[in-house]
Amino acid sequence: MAAAGGAPLELGTKKIGTLLKEYAVPSIIASTASSLYNMVDSIFIGHIPGDGPMAISGLAITFPLMNLSSALGTLVGVGAATMISVYLGQKNYSTASKVLANVLSLNTIIGVIFSVLSLCFLDPILRFFGASDVTLPFARDYMTIILIGNVITHLYFGLNSLLRASGKPKLAMGLTIFTVTSNAILDPIFIYVLGLGIKGAAIATVLCQAVALVYTMVFFLDKKNFLHFPKGVFALDWRIAKESMAVGMGPFLMNAASCIVTMFINQQLGHYGGDLAIGAYGIINRINFLFIMIVMGLNHGMQPIAGYNYGARQFARVRQVFTLTARCALVVSTVSFLISELCPSAVVSIFTSDEELRSLAVHGLRIMNCMVAPVGFAMVTGNFFQCLGMVKKSIFLSLSRQLIFLVPLLYILPLFFEQTGVWISFAVADVISTAMAAVMLAQLFKKFRLIEAGADPSILGSQL
Amino acid sequence: MAGGKAVATAIGNILEIPVYDYELLSQAAVESGLSHELFKRSDETRRVLNLGNIFGANRYSQSSIGSGINDSELFNIQCGVIRRIAESGSAIFVGRAADYVLRDMRCLNVFVSSPDETRIKRTCEQEGVDAETAAKLIARADRQRANFYNYYSFRNWGEAANYHLCVNSSLLGVEGTARMIIDFGKQAGLIG
Repeated sequence: MAAAGGAPLELGTKKIGTLLKEYAVPSIIASTASSLYNMVDSIFIGHIPGDGPMAISGLAITFPLMNLSSALGTLVGVGAATMISVYLGQKNYSTASKVLANVLSLNTIIGVIFSVLSLCFLDPILRFFGASDVTLPFARDYMTIILIGNVITHLYFGLNSLLRASGKPKLAMGLTIFTVTSNAILDPIFIYVLGLGIKGAAIATVLCQAVALVYTMVFFLDKKNFLHFPKGVFALDWRIAKESMAVGMGPFLMNAASCIVTMFINQQLGHYGGDLAIGAYGIINRINFLFIMIVMGLNHGMQPIAGYNYGARQFARVRQVFTLTARCALVVSTVSFLISELCPSAVVSIFTSDEELRSLAVHGLRIMNCMVAPVGFAMVTGNFFQCLGMVKKSIFLSLSRQLIFLVPLLYILPLFFEQTGVWISFAVADVISTAMAAVMLAQLFKKFRLIEAGADPSILGSQL
Repeated sequence: MAGGKAVATAIGNILEIPVYDYELLSQAAVESGLSHELFKRSDETRRVLNLGNIFGANRYSQSSIGSGINDSELFNIQCGVIRRIAESGSAIFVGRAADYVLRDMRCLNVFVSSPDETRIKRTCEQEGVDAETAAKLIARADRQRANFYNYYSFRNWGEAANYHLCVNSSLLGVEGTARMIIDFGKQAGLIG
């Protein structure tokens, strides 16, 4: 019981505030680190002398393809990490090591196939994503190097999540911080000093991940670790492949969906506003991503606490952890709102010094984020339903903001308001999804009260 | 349905040792402070396509051992209970991959099967359904068991090499099979 007994009990008794801090802070650090990585790249690329605005537009064109690549990475990684933690918990080290070896083989195969296919059809793909004659060279330069290093990226992320699963979260985080900081140091050297431009940013990214990957490989080659690469050929095990992909399919589909939505956004912006509008979205996306990742971190922290106490039928504690998380998230999204409305120019200037691009991005940021303040609440509510096993409601809420309402709006509103219509779409989708989250949450809490007053718990309708 | 539970109960009666099946879940639930319902979920079912993962939100929480409540966490708690019971004295466990969980302990592992016709007939009587529904129920239960067993143990459910004895309970009947297993266990030095 030693492995499993301690943690769950404390989830039911310890103070909610303390618990949330313990669980949320590490995941906030982990999730913001990855968004900082992208942000730093964008900042340096945006300031490339002369080419900055077009380079950042070219970079924004590659977002969907980058999303798809990381989606493929999670396809194997998430499921494999779950499997490994199961087998390590059982002290079944030989099977855990077999999974580890298969992560290596599978990620290599998927990575190589994705790279080869994308490189063969790179120009048509980027055109389809909204590249123009001006932005295409930048997008192509950046993506070619990223795709060549794609296997390294896949392996780095895949093995990094296995480090966490194998009880080395500090080492995993240390490596993440290493890649972020070394990338920030190498970016200016490669981009400006060596004059490699947007290519330099890509080279720095791949290089930092390669170093971190080598370190991870050395760790997993060490026979002293419970989890290490087994001897011999890394033959694919069909069962491991199937199981890990079954678990990873969910995150994969979600990432793939966001890839498609980003594509729609870029196409509409390109149509109504041209290359610079896409570049403006690239900047706004980076800014918003940071806030979204903080809320995601909070959500990860809430999950075990809410899930456990719901299972233990401690509704008061469930409500408590939700209220606290939602409040924190509201602070985050309100800060995002205030920055967007009060000093948008200051934030946008971090990414570009070009006057035209800056005014476009400021305009976009103001409109897009005018309803963002309550979104923190909506995101936490969506995740809350997931913690309670009400997966359909949770998926519906999450998709309502990012897909169901957003995509039609993206195609209707610009008919009336042109480019501004694209930005308004985000705000309208925010309002609708927040309102729905509030209604669904009110219904749920009403049921909680009924149960506490003695009603049958089956009215919750979730199988837990 | 194949008579495993019935045979186990018979052996338990003869040897006067406890049989753990559904009760095991209750005990685990109470000990870890969870509600009973939560454990029903991990009762040899495992969701293959876990939609809860769809947001990628579990990336950090689910992959770290002991941080949250998910299916594999529940399995770990269940294993702890199985091992503790086994360490404290003789016991019979039905299902739940107990042969794998206790793979380093002295125990007799038996796989009880019976022909489809027998299983269908028994299910019809027990559940009060027609033969077609019974066949479907049996197929689903087998699929769930195989899924559960194969995922957590990384072995193959029902593979003879995992067990000391594989027996068709329809030949000797429940009582006869129970006596035969006890006899086998005694001769092998694994019982008593």
